[in-house]
Amino acid sequence: MFSGLTFAPARLPDEAEALRAEVRAFLADQMPADYWPNSDFNEGHSPEFTRRLGMRGWIGMTWPKAVGGGERTFFERYVVTEELLAAGAPVSAHWIADRQSGPLLLRFGTEEQQRRYLPGVVRGETWFSIGMSEPNTGSDLASVATKATRVKGGWRVSGTKIWTTDAHRNHYIIALVRTEGTPADRHAGLTQMVVDLKGEGVTVRPIANIAGGHDFNEVVFDECFVADADVVGEPGNGWQQVTSELGYERSGPERFLSAFRVFVEFVRAVGTAPSPEQSALIGRLASHVMTLRKMSISVAAMLQEGANPGVEAALVKSLGNDFEKMLPELVRLALPQMPPEHPFARSLAQTLMHSPSFTIRGGTREILRGVIARGLGLR
Amino acid sequence: MDALVADAAERIFADHVDKPLLDCAEAGEFPQQLWQVLCEAGLHLVGTKDSGTGLADILGLLKVAGRHAVPLPLAEVWVAGFVLGGEDSDGLTVVADDGLVAAWGRRAERVLTLDGRLATEFSVESGANLAGEPRDRIRVDGASEIDLPGEMPELMATTRAALAAGALERTLELAIEYATTRSQFGRTISRFQAVQHQLAVLAGEVAAAVRACDGAIEALDATGFGTQAAAAKARVGEACGIAAEIVHQVHGAMGFTHEHTLHHFTRRLWSWRDEFGNEAFWQRRLGERLAASGADALWDFIAREG
Repeated sequence: MFSGLTFAPARLPDEAEALRAEVRAFLADQMPADYWPNSDFNEGHSPEFTRRLGMRGWIGMTWPKAVGGGERTFFERYVVTEELLAAGAPVSAHWIADRQSGPLLLRFGTEEQQRRYLPGVVRGETWFSIGMSEPNTGSDLASVATKATRVKGGWRVSGTKIWTTDAHRNHYIIALVRTEGTPADRHAGLTQMVVDLKGEGVTVRPIANIAGGHDFNEVVFDECFVADADVVGEPGNGWQQVTSELGYERSGPERFLSAFRVFVEFVRAVGTAPSPEQSALIGRLASHVMTLRKMSISVAAMLQEGANPGVEAALVKSLGNDFEKMLPELVRLALPQMPPEHPFARSLAQTLMHSPSFTIRGGTREILRGVIARGLGLR
Repeated sequence: MDALVADAAERIFADHVDKPLLDCAEAGEFPQQLWQVLCEAGLHLVGTKDSGTGLADILGLLKVAGRHAVPLPLAEVWVAGFVLGGEDSDGLTVVADDGLVAAWGRRAERVLTLDGRLATEFSVESGANLAGEPRDRIRVDGASEIDLPGEMPELMATTRAALAAGALERTLELAIEYATTRSQFGRTISRFQAVQHQLAVLAGEVAAAVRACDGAIEALDATGFGTQAAAAKARVGEACGIAAEIVHQVHGAMGFTHEHTLHHFTRRLWSWRDEFGNEAFWQRRLGERLAASGADALWDFIAREG
């Protein structure tokens, strides 16, 4: 019988709430002057903003002090990240390293790797990319074909990674490569390695997106040498490691707030005398954000307790991504058409043009529904 | 919520509420035996002054009642008991909505209205909601004035959110059970990706509804209850329509028959989402407040009260 997906009530504790005012004061002071706020974690890139955030101790907040971290709780990190997203701050430079690469190195990396890479991440100076997808490996991650061959002192890596966000600006990529066997071996024989994106044997080629932007890239490894010291975890343990990242990757506020600035500009454009239909739409969207946020905080509480809420995280992401796509579709019809330079039109256009990526990145809607179905005992 | 009380209620509902009972109640027969059992267990007094239980227990128990589609006006009886302090009587006191429609008004000794009257003399015109639950219009002939707690409409709306949250969980269970046992094309229909994805969407709506409802319950002791109740009724109401559509599709023609029990839950979802303010009503309430506080306060409102 169905065991149920539970999102036990959880609240952000007071010490986390206390950070909120600090983050807002920081934002009032430090938002780049000519920057157009965007709540998509992937869209705003500012080395200077990221560095200042690092100086405030708001990158690597939960990490040990030994690597420069703040040893604070997941809840405190939650408050900082949701405040940054809601304000539409430029966070993409450090986002992946803070959310994913750092926790991965802390869990599976050597002490030497942690000392070498993490203090720079915490200062906002070292940025990481995710190296999972390949031209023939999208949702079917176990078909990774990038090959690492044993050589003296390390590995020679050849193959291609794709959709690599910010590889042209970031310093390192944690690549999932095959150290044994062939793609037919699926989950076995996969290994994660830190590769220097500026190093020899690595070529980064830009890929333009439909919005005319350049975030993602193709990364080609051609007999690129990776020292044994840069292998993350045990060779062959890559699949277990990448799947353990997903709880962190899928349940955060970035999975339902991507379109939030459009909501803000909608409320501004509607003004203080909304029609009943406009009020209802504002209330409807708010009821969704409030509920998603509660679910997301419930997952944060599970992570804080050391649980692995993979299915719950997939559900939050799936529901949140659908909401992010629904939001621009609904608000656009609730106001007269605006000239393109109008703040509402500008935010709407920016979000709409990036919205196809919401249900693709970090696990497609179809993959997530499969994960949920498995959690329900259907497969 | 008091776990012992919840266990006792769950046991009684599971033992007594079945399809024959639901069908009889729908035909207009008050489930007297079930009511007697509840009274003997003291469950008619939930929420009253000396019961050691309060609003959180009422709403928590309504989720349990919703899971079983209990054909009694428990939301009304318990809220009336909370408001009036309660007396140990097995006579019914129910709450009417602002159109003076009351659940089981025909059986009630007293009716509490949302404008603060306790009617003891009233006439009744029988009616029913889509689920066949008695919803009787009353005309008040004699009443006394009562001090109602603040946010009474929000409280009644939350009773429907709680009932629906429970019923939504049950429909998910029913759909999973059906999909994993019904075979077509040589395998259970749960093996088909198209069905799996529908059930994944359903699970998302159910989880969101339950979490939204719990958010209102958590806020009972805080200042933001009105906001949370509005958000909960709106979000749960939206889930009701989506969920009912999916569970019927998954059950195919079987679920469209009166013989199957699914409709006892889906017709309640369709009814409860309308009662004490539908989605649009509570969305407007919430939206008006947000619009009044302005765009730059939007996030603060959500972070503070959300």
